[in-house]
Amino acid sequence: MTRTSDPKRLFRLLGSPAGVERDVDTELGFHLEARAEALIAAGAVPEAARAQALREFGDLGAARAELSAIDRHRLSRDRLREWWDSLGLDVRFALRAFARHPSFVVVALATLALGIGGNVAIFSVVNAVLLRPLPYRQPDRLVRVWPNGSVPPGIFAIVSKRTRDVRPIAGYLLQSQVSLTGLREPVRASAVGVTAEIFNVLGSRAQLGRALAAGDDEPGRDRVVVLSHALWRSQFGGDPGVVGRPVVVDGVGRTVVGVMPPDFLFPSPSVQLWVPVAIDPRIGASYWWGNWLQLVGRLAPGVDRVAAQAEVRSVLDGARSAFPMRMPDDWGRDADVIPLRDWIVGGSRTTLLLLLGAVGLVLLVACVNVANLSLARAAAREQEIGIRAALGAGRGRVVRQLLTESVVLAGAGAAVGLLLAVALLTLLVAFLPSDTPRLAEVGIDGRVLSATVGLALLTALIFGLAPALRAARLDVRAAVGSGTRLSGGTFVRRRLADMLVVAQLGLAVILVAGASVLIESFIRLRRVDLGFQTENVTAANVPVPSFESDSLRRAQAFYTAVLDRVQAIPGVSAAAAVGVLPFGDGIGAGPIDVEDSPTPSGAAFPLVEMTSITPDYFRVMGIPLVAGRGITEADRDSAGGVVVVDEVAARKMWPGESPLGKRIRYVWRKDWLTVVGVVGAIRRDSLNDAQRPSVYLPMLESMRVEHRIVARSSVGAQALAPALREAVASVDRNVPIGSIRSLETLVEGSAAHRRFATVLVGIFAAVALLLGAVGTYGVVAHAVTRRRREIGVRLALGARSADVLRMVLGDGLRLALGGALLGVIGAAALTRLAGSLLYGVSPTDPPIFAGVTALMLLVALAATLIPARRASRVDPTVAMRSE
Amino acid sequence: MDADLDLLQGTLDVLVLKALVWGQRHGYAVAGWIKQTSDQALTVEDRALYVSLHRLEDRGLVESEWGLSDNNRKAKYYRLTAKGRQHLRAQTARWTRYADAVFKVLRAT
Repeated sequence: MTRTSDPKRLFRLLGSPAGVERDVDTELGFHLEARAEALIAAGAVPEAARAQALREFGDLGAARAELSAIDRHRLSRDRLREWWDSLGLDVRFALRAFARHPSFVVVALATLALGIGGNVAIFSVVNAVLLRPLPYRQPDRLVRVWPNGSVPPGIFAIVSKRTRDVRPIAGYLLQSQVSLTGLREPVRASAVGVTAEIFNVLGSRAQLGRALAAGDDEPGRDRVVVLSHALWRSQFGGDPGVVGRPVVVDGVGRTVVGVMPPDFLFPSPSVQLWVPVAIDPRIGASYWWGNWLQLVGRLAPGVDRVAAQAEVRSVLDGARSAFPMRMPDDWGRDADVIPLRDWIVGGSRTTLLLLLGAVGLVLLVACVNVANLSLARAAAREQEIGIRAALGAGRGRVVRQLLTESVVLAGAGAAVGLLLAVALLTLLVAFLPSDTPRLAEVGIDGRVLSATVGLALLTALIFGLAPALRAARLDVRAAVGSGTRLSGGTFVRRRLADMLVVAQLGLAVILVAGASVLIESFIRLRRVDLGFQTENVTAANVPVPSFESDSLRRAQAFYTAVLDRVQAIPGVSAAAAVGVLPFGDGIGAGPIDVEDSPTPSGAAFPLVEMTSITPDYFRVMGIPLVAGRGITEADRDSAGGVVVVDEVAARKMWPGESPLGKRIRYVWRKDWLTVVGVVGAIRRDSLNDAQRPSVYLPMLESMRVEHRIVARSSVGAQALAPALREAVASVDRNVPIGSIRSLETLVEGSAAHRRFATVLVGIFAAVALLLGAVGTYGVVAHAVTRRRREIGVRLALGARSADVLRMVLGDGLRLALGGALLGVIGAAALTRLAGSLLYGVSPTDPPIFAGVTALMLLVALAATLIPARRASRVDPTVAMRSE
Repeated sequence: MDADLDLLQGTLDVLVLKALVWGQRHGYAVAGWIKQTSDQALTVEDRALYVSLHRLEDRGLVESEWGLSDNNRKAKYYRLTAKGRQHLRAQTARWTRYADAVFKVLRAT
């Protein structure tokens, strides 16, 4: 560059915001003086010259302010750019540093990816099931009314009229299997009877046609049906002209009026169609006793849940007298109003939060592991960092550099973890119990992504802070000068590393202890006596032919015919029909009168499980007869008013007496049933619930028409299925057979949530244990390498290699003991959170805790053994000459 | 700032850049060069000149450095950046076209 004048350079303008005004003053001062001097040289008087220079310049104050503002703007922008540039530099430097230690990077990255990936996967499920709002309009105003109770249509009519705080309010029946005919072939589908307002309550519209609307539940206008998106696609081929088509649901001809969108799945993901429940006072039985409606509603504007609950209770209290029979005085007093979401999420909450907690602990263990690795690496880098500091890198700069490395590492870990999470999610969703609500919504969304980023930064902070802060305290002169590692710093770092290992082992102990109590619960549950034998029993869902559904006698004839054919199948030793199968059909409880101890009016009637059966049922199920006789062929046709009770019912209703010959009856019937036999008690639908009193009746005494077929056979459910289908088809080709499953599968299914949680926590615990072992090995091995010289001296002074072995093992053991102690304390505090998932075992079961501690010590000892043996084989002459 | 001043500002920027084409100069020298070269025809208010210099620096067209003047006093020297040189070339071409066009119109008979 050519220059007109070449000034001597003073210094580069570094510039700081504070110096901006001063610099402007200097610049302008020079101008004014130069001008004045020029005027003086031309013959002006100095004062006049200065005044003229000022005049010529213009408004000096305004100029100062304006120039300063421009400069400040430029400086702050430059600073920001410089910050970005140096960040880029840091990142590049971090990548170069990593490239020099690929093994460190691989181990750290794998650990982090595992921790972050697991967390992201579990969080995705938690997000979909627990956090995301329900797919309805203003979902936070939706409430489930009286989750523990239900009302018949007669009461519903009163409640929906009188309740103001929850409005609109709708009712729905339990989901049930129905037969769809009038299609190409008969199919079974899952249907829900609903009152017409339900779509209005949820604020959902049909995708095609219309949803149900007010009036659709009035008698005579209720012959309509709404299809789910999935059913529309599978059975109607997604036909856009489906609206108006006739379809037969359980023998009742109905017209399709609409198809709902894919995400409308109320009340459960398996629902396939909605039919109106007729609110018809003329059908007395179902108006007061049959269809028990569960209630869902929308809080009126400005009303809170507490007020709504008070109103609902008082409305139910007033409605009670409308029943044609006397209801217990406290009926409806326990009516709660809870957010709909809480009710839908229900039991999944504990499981999911438990898993989230467990996987969070795994991430912590992973962080500690990486922190320890970084710490060991920092030792090797002390000289490098010292040099950087000596060359003028400030403490803040060095810390930033190290934190940048951590963030880059965590970021890469999160990226790999996210990929891992996507793969894990597919597995998780397949493995999750199929009745988990909102499973279809599980996926990676914005919230999951931001949680991943947050997690990455958090992990970087957790595992990066300790090494970074240590580097900040580094003594520059010593680090650069000696070129060897520092004894003082080493001591501090060693203590830090020890503490990290103790923390890590402690976390692993918590997880292992948690997994152990869950596994123990599971084992105990598996040993629970069901009261019946599941082996070799196949249960088939066989509906009655729809045109006969009104008659119990016809249904019995149908089932008798089917059973005759089933019994003729080779390999089948016994077959029976049952109204409510344990672990399959939920609850079939009904209120009864006991002749000897009448229920005082106004008190609650005793509730017993009413199971209608055919004679061979006890034989198929392996339920032992304790006294009297079972249901026989003779009872089948005469309906002679007999009943068999189980031991729990017998004890409850006739304590200390023989129940044989005693009489009970349905509260709404006149005829008494005489007890002719006593059988063993069974578990009904959950392994960990108390046994409920049960009674068994001949099929003709049943309240329900549809029964299941159970068969004991020498072959499994899979092998038996074709023959079963053939047997049913040979009686009636138009009966769509439902699921055919082994009784074992049904029982297992009831423990699906528990097994899911147990297996996952078990996996997490194993990972944590493995990481803990790796961490212990790393720290002890590092210590041995560092103490080679010292060990050499000891050996030279006469120590035997066994002493050295013992010394190193002792070090490892000390760490393990510390970790075990910390872990046991933590576990005692945390395992109780598993609460409802535990069965028959205390959250702080001493044998389990002792076992876990022993396991931890064993693992730590094993991890220490390799470096300890290496230490004991140190050659003193070589060791002392090194360094 | 009104429209006249805006125009003046744009014009002034080009003049300032031109003043720096042969090397670095402090503000006072820039002012003197403009005055002298235009045979006193263009008088630039000093305040506007400095605002122009600082603005150009903010836009990255010039850069500054402290130096010592001929009589050994601390002064702020400005120098064209590569970007500034390019900008000047473009602006010069534009100005020439503009002046030619106006000239043609005014000379039309």
